[in-house]
Amino acid sequence: MAFAYTGIDLPIRPKTISSHQRSWEIIASPGRWWNGAERIEIARVGRAARDFEAVGSEILSAAAVFAIQKLVVDNANLNHEWYEEIIAADGMSEDRYVELVAVTVHALSIDEFHRALGLELEPLPDPAPGEPSQQRPPEAEQRRSWPPIVPRTGLHPADAMLYGPLEWGANVISALSLIPENVRWLHDLSEGHYLSFAEMRMPDPLRSISRPQIELIAARVSVLNECFY
Amino acid sequence: MLRESSHRNGTIDSLNIHGAVNPDSDSGVPDGGLLTAFAEAAVRQTDALPGLRERIASVLGAQQLVDAAGVVANFQRMVRIADGCGIPLDDFTKEASEDWREDLGLHEFASAANTA
Repeated sequence: MAFAYTGIDLPIRPKTISSHQRSWEIIASPGRWWNGAERIEIARVGRAARDFEAVGSEILSAAAVFAIQKLVVDNANLNHEWYEEIIAADGMSEDRYVELVAVTVHALSIDEFHRALGLELEPLPDPAPGEPSQQRPPEAEQRRSWPPIVPRTGLHPADAMLYGPLEWGANVISALSLIPENVRWLHDLSEGHYLSFAEMRMPDPLRSISRPQIELIAARVSVLNECFY
Repeated sequence: MLRESSHRNGTIDSLNIHGAVNPDSDSGVPDGGLLTAFAEAAVRQTDALPGLRERIASVLGAQQLVDAAGVVANFQRMVRIADGCGIPLDDFTKEASEDWREDLGLHEFASAANTA
């Protein structure tokens, strides 16, 4: 079982463990535009980039590898021109880019949790069989962010509430919704690492550190990444 | 979110939001200096990280250390979603934060051009 966390003297929350395990299953499974082996390779390239190891890939295009590396180590300097070049490159598209971003940042987040606590990184999973569905939601629309996004009506009905009271959700919640499953994944790992959607509305959620302490850490990480949003 | 949580938590009067930007500035959040030092060491992967882990575990507790690590991990992800998708500021955030974003120098960030 992945993420057993045995032999360590840290109280890892069950929700954290289960969200990590689900993330590994998601990464290993075929997505809409990349198969399992490609998705695991995305995570591998991103993991190496965080260690400033510029690895190549035998199964990902040069543009995909470059995009992963930029997302991991130079995210503060991404711009629209760069995005347009990436999605126009061989083997890329806006759909494939969105899925690549989702896999890269969710895998990175789990690795970052381990690095922050001085834990060994979890071995990447083996790929599950199957091919990408190549289904683009017909409701996708170009809004103000670079990739198109999907309104509440394009999500699985069980996930529609994850946008909150807004049709499109806060911009960071709907950003990766061109692959609608990403919205559920985003929330699942948020609950494992930070707060659930319901807890985000609480002034004093059930965590060991206070809400202002939580948000101070969040703000500091955002500043260190020079993230304006 | 830091300002909003301090409002709702009843600690807004002691909050100094510059503490999130400048590590030499006291945020007014209890143990804020220790937590932001940990966040910085984790993001930058510095040699200070092991010592800060031990200090948080001894001063605040092991669960607090784990929860702090979770927040770091979460926002290492969220900033890259924002930057990688060029998302604009939410309208409600833009209106509420205009003054202090300028004051904190956030408009100097390269990503401001994508999300303003």
